[in-house]
Amino acid sequence: MGIPTTYTEQELVLALKERNNQAFAYLYDNYAGALYSIIKQIITDNNELASDVLQEVFINIWRKIESYDQTKGRLFTWMLNIARNASIDTLRSKSYQNSQKNQELPDNVYKGVANQTTQQNVDNIGLKKVLEKLKPEHRVLVELAYFKGFTHEEIAEMMTIPLGTVKTRIRNALLQLREYLK
Amino acid sequence: MNLKDYIASGIIESYVMGLASESERAEFEQMCTQHPELVAERRKFEERLEHHTSEHAVVPPSEVKVKIFEALGNIDSRPMSSSNPPKGIITMENAKSPRNAGWLRFAAAAAVILLIGTVVLYYQASQEIKDLKASNQDLSGTVQRLKIRVDTTQNILDRLANVDNVVSDPNTTVVNMVGTKVAPKSSANIYWDSTNTSVYLVVKNMPKLPSDQQYQLWALIDSKPKDLGVFDATDNNVILKMKNTQKAQAFAITIEKKGGSPSPDLKKLQSMGKTMLTQ
Repeated sequence: MGIPTTYTEQELVLALKERNNQAFAYLYDNYAGALYSIIKQIITDNNELASDVLQEVFINIWRKIESYDQTKGRLFTWMLNIARNASIDTLRSKSYQNSQKNQELPDNVYKGVANQTTQQNVDNIGLKKVLEKLKPEHRVLVELAYFKGFTHEEIAEMMTIPLGTVKTRIRNALLQLREYLK
Repeated sequence: MNLKDYIASGIIESYVMGLASESERAEFEQMCTQHPELVAERRKFEERLEHHTSEHAVVPPSEVKVKIFEALGNIDSRPMSSSNPPKGIITMENAKSPRNAGWLRFAAAAAVILLIGTVVLYYQASQEIKDLKASNQDLSGTVQRLKIRVDTTQNILDRLANVDNVVSDPNTTVVNMVGTKVAPKSSANIYWDSTNTSVYLVVKNMPKLPSDQQYQLWALIDSKPKDLGVFDATDNNVILKMKNTQKAQAFAITIEKKGGSPSPDLKKLQSMGKTMLTQ
């Protein structure tokens, strides 16, 4: 068996489904950084936890590769959604919520404008950087939906906006995002 | 709704980024099977998203890769299922396809070799233990026998030391008992300590007697016999403490009934020895 240094997506998927270890190493070397970036944009304050999630994500990719259906999207899209879902699950886990409560108590003193600006500086990576270009009322919805994992219904309730409006605004925001990704 | 409007609705982005609802997803996937343009638009957005995310990649800690491959090694060393579950159902077994990379086969082979090696070692060890147990039992038997022998020897030595004490005592008179015509081979020694009147007998050679008979030692004092006790022929070469006597011109050994007689049957006189006092 030769050792390919590059794979087309087609070859890579095939090799992964054949449980080719080399292909999996290649997958990690080429995509771990991108997936880690999205994980860190969701789990913003705990690098150790973020790297635990990255580990979990790759193990899930290896386990679930059989279920990946190329007709429904690119391999990267599939992996990105696994990473996003795993990060949001962690964010919403009880143990994470508890650790947040403990950490946030002293921060409450500075809650307000000052805190928001530092928060923004920390978040200035990847997609979040692009989000800054959106109108604030759009940005907050994408932030809540994509990075916090709230459903449209939850957001509608939280923001006291009709569900239809939430949906429309998010769709519009994503279309703008598409333009900024060019 | 025409396709252009559908594409412009933001459904593609919503679907790709995982923000579409169940029903929206189902509809979108259905539309994709019918409209290649939709698929092409979807791919365009996916590529942009991938490109952008890859450009903003963050290098993860190096130990994560090591941990992942360690974890996968553990997953794949479990027994593999050869049956292929139906597509679309994700099970743990699904991750363990029978088609595996070479290193997995190597790991499996190593595991088998390790197992065989362990079994062989276990067998050898248990054999060794069995052998050791047997030889241990042998040894403890030998030790037991040796102990008995040592005890016996110690006993004999003690008695011999006793003999030696008696024999080497300057006050002890040694009387050599010689066989009579009836029993020419009979012989014994009498050690008589005339100061404390102790009498010791050492049987040198006395024929074995029927179990209802015993030898009896007599002291002859002024031609009258005095009972000094009975003994058996089996008391060969040990020193026997007999009854004390202050006087004796001679010692005699007769065969009497078991337990001894009040007076000797001189017809059965076996051995006789005169003391120096009479000479």
